[in-house]
Amino acid sequence: MTETLTLAHKELTDLRRNRFMVVLFAFLAVTVVLSVVVASADFRLKIADYHHYLDALAASGNAAAVPAPQLFPLQMLRGGIEYLEIIGSLFAVVLGYSMITKEKGRGTLQLIFSRPLGRYAFAGGKILALVLLWTATVTGLFIVITATLLLVGNAPLQGGDYLRLALAAAHTIAYLIIWSLLAMALASLTRRTGTGLILALVLWLIVVLIIPQIGDTMDPDNQIPGGLFASLQVDASHEQAVMAHFTGYETTRDLIEQSSVTKQYERATFAYLGIKTEYNQQPLGFIWAGTFNNTLWLLAGLALSVSAALLAATKKTILRKAP
Amino acid sequence: MTDTAISTTALTKRYGSHQALNELTLSVPSGEIFGLLGHNGAGKTTIVNLLTTLMEPSSGTAVIGGHDIATASNQVRRSIGYLPENVQFYDNLTLAENLLFFARLSGVRAPGARIRDVLEFLDFTGRENHRMGTFSKGMRQRAGIAQAIVHNPSVLFLDEPTSGLDPQGVARLREIIIALNTDLGMTIFMNTHLLAEVTKTCTSIGILSSGTLIYQDSVAATLDSFPGQESLEDIYLHIEAGQRS
Repeated sequence: MTETLTLAHKELTDLRRNRFMVVLFAFLAVTVVLSVVVASADFRLKIADYHHYLDALAASGNAAAVPAPQLFPLQMLRGGIEYLEIIGSLFAVVLGYSMITKEKGRGTLQLIFSRPLGRYAFAGGKILALVLLWTATVTGLFIVITATLLLVGNAPLQGGDYLRLALAAAHTIAYLIIWSLLAMALASLTRRTGTGLILALVLWLIVVLIIPQIGDTMDPDNQIPGGLFASLQVDASHEQAVMAHFTGYETTRDLIEQSSVTKQYERATFAYLGIKTEYNQQPLGFIWAGTFNNTLWLLAGLALSVSAALLAATKKTILRKAP
Repeated sequence: MTDTAISTTALTKRYGSHQALNELTLSVPSGEIFGLLGHNGAGKTTIVNLLTTLMEPSSGTAVIGGHDIATASNQVRRSIGYLPENVQFYDNLTLAENLLFFARLSGVRAPGARIRDVLEFLDFTGRENHRMGTFSKGMRQRAGIAQAIVHNPSVLFLDEPTSGLDPQGVARLREIIIALNTDLGMTIFMNTHLLAEVTKTCTSIGILSSGTLIYQDSVAATLDSFPGQESLEDIYLHIEAGQRS
């Protein structure tokens, strides 16, 4: 255990002083926060416009009740979640890959493995460092996002909203760790460092971009901007009646989407943040029941990636594939 | 009777159909500076990789400091230090941080005091908080020695320790290797190409040719046994040529 902590500590110190990694993390943080800042500013403007309108009505002596605009502060995280989903996972791949290739490239593996280490200590140290790094980064990011919602958007957050943000953050941490660990495993299993990176990027391309895109393309409601059914002025009950004739097609589309860990992450976080309309303003129990499978698949992906990283980065495997 | 620091029995390593090491039987007494000579590809680095437990043998056994490399590999690792050829470090970490990392991995109980001793022994005082990325080749090699001895091992493996060093660096490293042996009592096993260095540094030698140990004796006995040859280089070439014919 001591050697695992020693390895994790070294890894975190090394990463903290690595300018390239600092720039990557800063870029990701700025991108995500900026998207929330822009959405929060827009949110604030809409609220201000509504109040100005009310004031103008009152000044003109009009006492008509004007309904408040339907604005939900957590939905302002949509852009940020999408950046974490795509750019965050890409950076997670680079991080996991570089954790192994820098050891292989420097030749420090021999120095480490000539010490009395447990079989899984090396991989354990790297995994622990990744878990701590992503937990700290995402927690910090969500704290800044929450502050942005409160200070820039003047968003009226309540107790339940903080819990939803925390759940979205927990899903984000798990999602990013999965990508880093998969890249770490692939970098450990390949002799040429470039091969590991290419394999990880191909996997990223398929899971993050291609599969979700296929699912979106197959969604009939995505065929026309604004939605097919909305443009045909078909209400929800009739939409369901129409779609009941296409259950096989819908099941296939759903299965394709479910095969992507990115889609599992997106479905869960969009539900908790109310971005997915059917879960907006719903109690947590309802959302939990509706997204339990997504969370479970995400956890299965996490368990799989931890196992892959542990088994791939043992002394025997990694030294056999060292240059 | 002298203790044996390193002993191997029929140690063999095969890579597929290629026999890198052929039934090596070798014994190095404690307190020796043993120089292993051989042409490129003779199997010198393979031996070091096997004895430092970085690689598993195809067959045969080896015992370091009384511990079998196959059945007591962690005890072997506790009793050895290893300096690979072209040693590299974590350049974003300082020398002291690098040494602390390796000391902790080796299970050193009071690493701070031990690191101070090692830094003083290797003349690094005042440089401990400099990042490794700023070190010259010669300083890196000395830092390599520092990481290899930070846990006070009884046997030290050095793979081409003078590779790439300038003459001053070679001389400085030679002094250090001799001091490690005489002052700290470490048994040293080194691979090298530089035969002149072997004469100045080693107490005994072995010659490896295509994975087979073809000669082993003390340096003094070797020089006496070949009166017709002027230097160790001539003797080495003579023995190698005899093996080939």
